[in-house]
Amino acid sequence: MGECCGMTCFQLHELGAELSLGVLPARERAAAVAHLDGCARCRAEVHRLTLAGDALLSLVPGAEPPVGFEDRVMARLGPSLRPVQRLRRRRRLVLVAAAAVAALATGAGGWALGSAEGTATRTVVPAAAQTQLRSGQLMADGRVLGRVYVHGGPSPWLFMSVDADGVPGPVRCTVQRSDGSTVSVGTFPLRDGYGSWGAGYPAGPDAIAVRLLSAGGTVLATAHLPAAGG
Amino acid sequence: MRNPPGPVLRMGGMHRMGLPLERLPDDALLAGLMAGDPEVAVAFVRRFQRRVFGVAIAVVGDVQLAEDVAQQTFERACRHAQVYDSRRGSVPTWLSAIAHNLAIDMVRARHSTPVDPEDLIALLEAVTDTPERRAIADEESAQLRSAVAELPREQARALVMAGIYGMTARQVAETEGVPVGTAKTRIRTAMGKLRTALAPGREVGHG
Repeated sequence: MGECCGMTCFQLHELGAELSLGVLPARERAAAVAHLDGCARCRAEVHRLTLAGDALLSLVPGAEPPVGFEDRVMARLGPSLRPVQRLRRRRRLVLVAAAAVAALATGAGGWALGSAEGTATRTVVPAAAQTQLRSGQLMADGRVLGRVYVHGGPSPWLFMSVDADGVPGPVRCTVQRSDGSTVSVGTFPLRDGYGSWGAGYPAGPDAIAVRLLSAGGTVLATAHLPAAGG
Repeated sequence: MRNPPGPVLRMGGMHRMGLPLERLPDDALLAGLMAGDPEVAVAFVRRFQRRVFGVAIAVVGDVQLAEDVAQQTFERACRHAQVYDSRRGSVPTWLSAIAHNLAIDMVRARHSTPVDPEDLIALLEAVTDTPERRAIADEESAQLRSAVAELPREQARALVMAGIYGMTARQVAETEGVPVGTAKTRIRTAMGKLRTALAPGREVGHG
């Protein structure tokens, strides 16, 4: 396309770098965006430039934030996190000593997170061996189609990465619990057989397996999970 | 995609007990954050705080302001985790972009001087190639670093001013004492070379 919305492809090309970096003045930006709406080729070009701009940011050296940053961020995130966790926090106070002992005994790094106020309501994040995160391979006829991570507890969630060549999307994910019940967690698309997806699901008996099903309900793959806590 | 199935699958069968959250792929950690899990939130912040704060301090140049930007970045990531699309970039790349946008907005809102000349020189040194950095960098970022290092100095300066400090071509022109058209050409040429250095399908993003 030569011209769209008052701007030619050549003019867009001249401004594309500034547009992708977000430094184009408002008026030119409006005209450029209007052009992109109707020009797939220029849109693809600006997308490539945007990736280059993002990549430039990856070269900026990391820097250690001030002491206490993590606590202050967590205090700020507090309202966005699940309220049920407050109960877990209280329970974990009891686990402080045990976690510390376990960390010393195993050489594993226990985590300790202070509250923003530095009061007694400190949260202790369990050492590695105490996490409720389990993982299993998604298997189908002896083939590995991906991996599932399941995090238990009162606010369970799972994440899966799928690489199933030839399998069309969308696919459905279900969790089988230790009491034999099944819960449908959700549906997500696959792109050329590949996709990754995560979601929370209702608390209940431990998950023992995760299944991937086709839209028609056929089981495509199953991940068996190691027993919780052990 | 930062966490393709390949590397993930190589972890197969390793853990009969709980997995440490530190070993969770970035995407999975984000999924946990989406679910509102505070343990995951801590792990998420720990994994990316250097990256996020690094971008923030580079742009705003003030520790207090940079902390505010970094905090807002994590807050926004937590609130908008569901809109993250792994096909468009890795989690650290996504976070860096959020931090960068917030930092630029803050600088513009305060009408601050866009860039201190000494800071610009220091940042330019940091993002360009040196033997020491080459030794520790992975292949993708080393390639990109080389591409920036090979730019003529005036193009590299224009690139850093526009791409990192968020300066418009007019501001670059005023800082460098050149016509606006020249500044635009420098930005465009530098970006073109950077884009060429990134082979199709390649994506750079590191935690």
